[in-house]
Amino acid sequence: MLKIENLHVRVEGKDILKGINLEINAGEVHAIMGPNGSGKSTLSYILAGREGYEITQGSISFHGKDLLEMSVEERAWAGVFLAFQYPVEVPGVSNIYMLKAALNGIRKHKGEPELDAMDFIASVKSKMKDLDMDEKFLYRAVNEGFSGGEKKRNEILQMSVLEPTLCVLDETDSGLDIDALKIVSDGINRLRDPARAFVLVTHYQRLLDYIKPDFVHVLANGKIVKSGGAELALELEDQGYSWLEDKKAS
Amino acid sequence: MSVTHLPNTHYAGLLATATTSKIEAEADWLTSLRERAAAEFNVAGFPSPRDEEWRYTNISAIEKSQFSLSEKTAEVEQALLDEALLDDCYHLVFVDGHYQPKHSSLTGLTGGVTVLPLSEVFTAGKEQQDLFKSLLDSVIEEHAQGFINFNTALFSDGALVCIAENTVVDKPIQLAFISSQDGALKLSNCRNLIYAMASSKATVFETYTGVADSCYLTDVVTEVVVEPNANLTHSRLQAESLKAYHIGGVYTRLENNAIFQQNNYTFGAVLSRAEIHANLSEASDCTLDGLYIGCDHQHMDNHTRVHHNQPHAVSNEFYKGVMDDKARGVFQGRIVVAEDAQKTDATMNNRNLLLSERAEIDTKPQLEIYADDVKCAHGVTVGQLDDTAIFYLRSRGADEQMAENMLTFAFANEMVERISFKPLRFKVLDQLLKRFPQAGMKKEWL
Repeated sequence: MLKIENLHVRVEGKDILKGINLEINAGEVHAIMGPNGSGKSTLSYILAGREGYEITQGSISFHGKDLLEMSVEERAWAGVFLAFQYPVEVPGVSNIYMLKAALNGIRKHKGEPELDAMDFIASVKSKMKDLDMDEKFLYRAVNEGFSGGEKKRNEILQMSVLEPTLCVLDETDSGLDIDALKIVSDGINRLRDPARAFVLVTHYQRLLDYIKPDFVHVLANGKIVKSGGAELALELEDQGYSWLEDKKAS
Repeated sequence: MSVTHLPNTHYAGLLATATTSKIEAEADWLTSLRERAAAEFNVAGFPSPRDEEWRYTNISAIEKSQFSLSEKTAEVEQALLDEALLDDCYHLVFVDGHYQPKHSSLTGLTGGVTVLPLSEVFTAGKEQQDLFKSLLDSVIEEHAQGFINFNTALFSDGALVCIAENTVVDKPIQLAFISSQDGALKLSNCRNLIYAMASSKATVFETYTGVADSCYLTDVVTEVVVEPNANLTHSRLQAESLKAYHIGGVYTRLENNAIFQQNNYTFGAVLSRAEIHANLSEASDCTLDGLYIGCDHQHMDNHTRVHHNQPHAVSNEFYKGVMDDKARGVFQGRIVVAEDAQKTDATMNNRNLLLSERAEIDTKPQLEIYADDVKCAHGVTVGQLDDTAIFYLRSRGADEQMAENMLTFAFANEMVERISFKPLRFKVLDQLLKRFPQAGMKKEWL
């Protein structure tokens, strides 16, 4: 589904990613772990198509197409979804309106008809119930005045409405208390599907207690320095990242 | 500070020869008042950019265009009427500056409420004439301003609205000013007088529309008196033809404990100016909201002036502007707090969005504070759309144009959402949606 080859990225003259190789297949859950400043968030933004990054080498293909040639919205239409570490507040645009505009944008691209308004609202409301979100959030401006946990839930709500094939979750566990973490994790687990892949970008192992990854990769100094199964996350939890960074430095 | 400026000979000539503008059976006192205004106009003319208050707005196109007075013959197309008239209101309709009884309706008007076209004031009773005399020219503090003198000398019609003490008007009163096909290259001079007597409550709308792409001039002056404990909401929707000129003013006196809410929506005219002035007495409460949306070569000038003359009054002012293409927006807001006006609480905010590199905003907040125990705050911003928010919306599947339109619409819609009367809110919304057709917005989603 997704193939990243020898990806080098520079931001404001500084090399952030220095040769990433990663292959993700449908149905898999990959965790990308690493210390602060290792380039985890940069990788997330690159996948979503944010401007301001200079790709100096390498390629990314998504379902066989050149992802880097696609605009931000084309990626969304093709099934890429980034759950933001810091979801953006959009004053004046209601949640329900944004969801509808986004979903119809995607459906239009697929040649599907616009959704019936009543069916759409009913479906969104049932998904909100699963995420323990009050219906009043539908009519509030996107993320405006939401608490940290509410914003994260809102990201998962968007994800479950838009039904992407590649879900990139950037530090989704940060700012969540234990109850919220369970609700959000349940929401993500409900979306697990043989046709869908997940990339969980996280500093800590605790999210992985709830969402079991198939693969864990450790990103340090712009490179994947170690890959393994779910047990690698536990190892990191015990030993921290320094032994891997030291290993790379030597 | 007014700067002497030679009057335009065409318009001075109009003042000298105009007879059609006079109101039927006009009293001598009014004729004298007009002569004084004409004499002042002949000295000072229209304002020029050398005048500090007019430095951002050059009205030379009005002088060159030589608009002439319109006759009371105009018919107006049903489509234009439908567009102009608001549901659930009493209507007084003026076409090309002249009252049109057949399109007006005051059926069921609350007792104690006077709504009368000025063209009929001298054929009405003595009571209405006395009221007219006491209100006319009673609020304006700036006689030398050319467009006001021009209006006083020439106004042919307009509305007299008076709400008796302790009276609540059940529906809003709409004064609809429409320019017809026959109004091309004509000028409409109307004067409105709105008087909310003690402890009354009313809502008055002024709307301005015209045949698309027709060029005409509207010069309108509204004087408002809000007596103690009265509550008046006054909204003006300027949706003139995009080739028209519109110079308008609302001059208000708030007496003790009066509440006044003024909303000023600007969408039309190639060049427009709105003066919103309010003089505040003790413990009065004044809200001034505004929205101006400019495209192409439109020029939109909003001038507000709030005078806190006495203690404990509150004023809140919030204007938002969006300028696209080569449009130019002007906001000059002045708050004056007199020495005696202790415990004044005044705020002024002006937020602007520039959508094009060639669009321009001139914003100039002015605070003059002569009292020492006051709360005054002002804020001004001129900015572009938030890149992060655009990225966020695009990452969810909205294309770039749609994301930009959504954010622009959302910026402006904050002012529209404040309109509690639904027919007006939808009318203003229609104007807003016309400006952002790509947004695909639907009312049911708001």
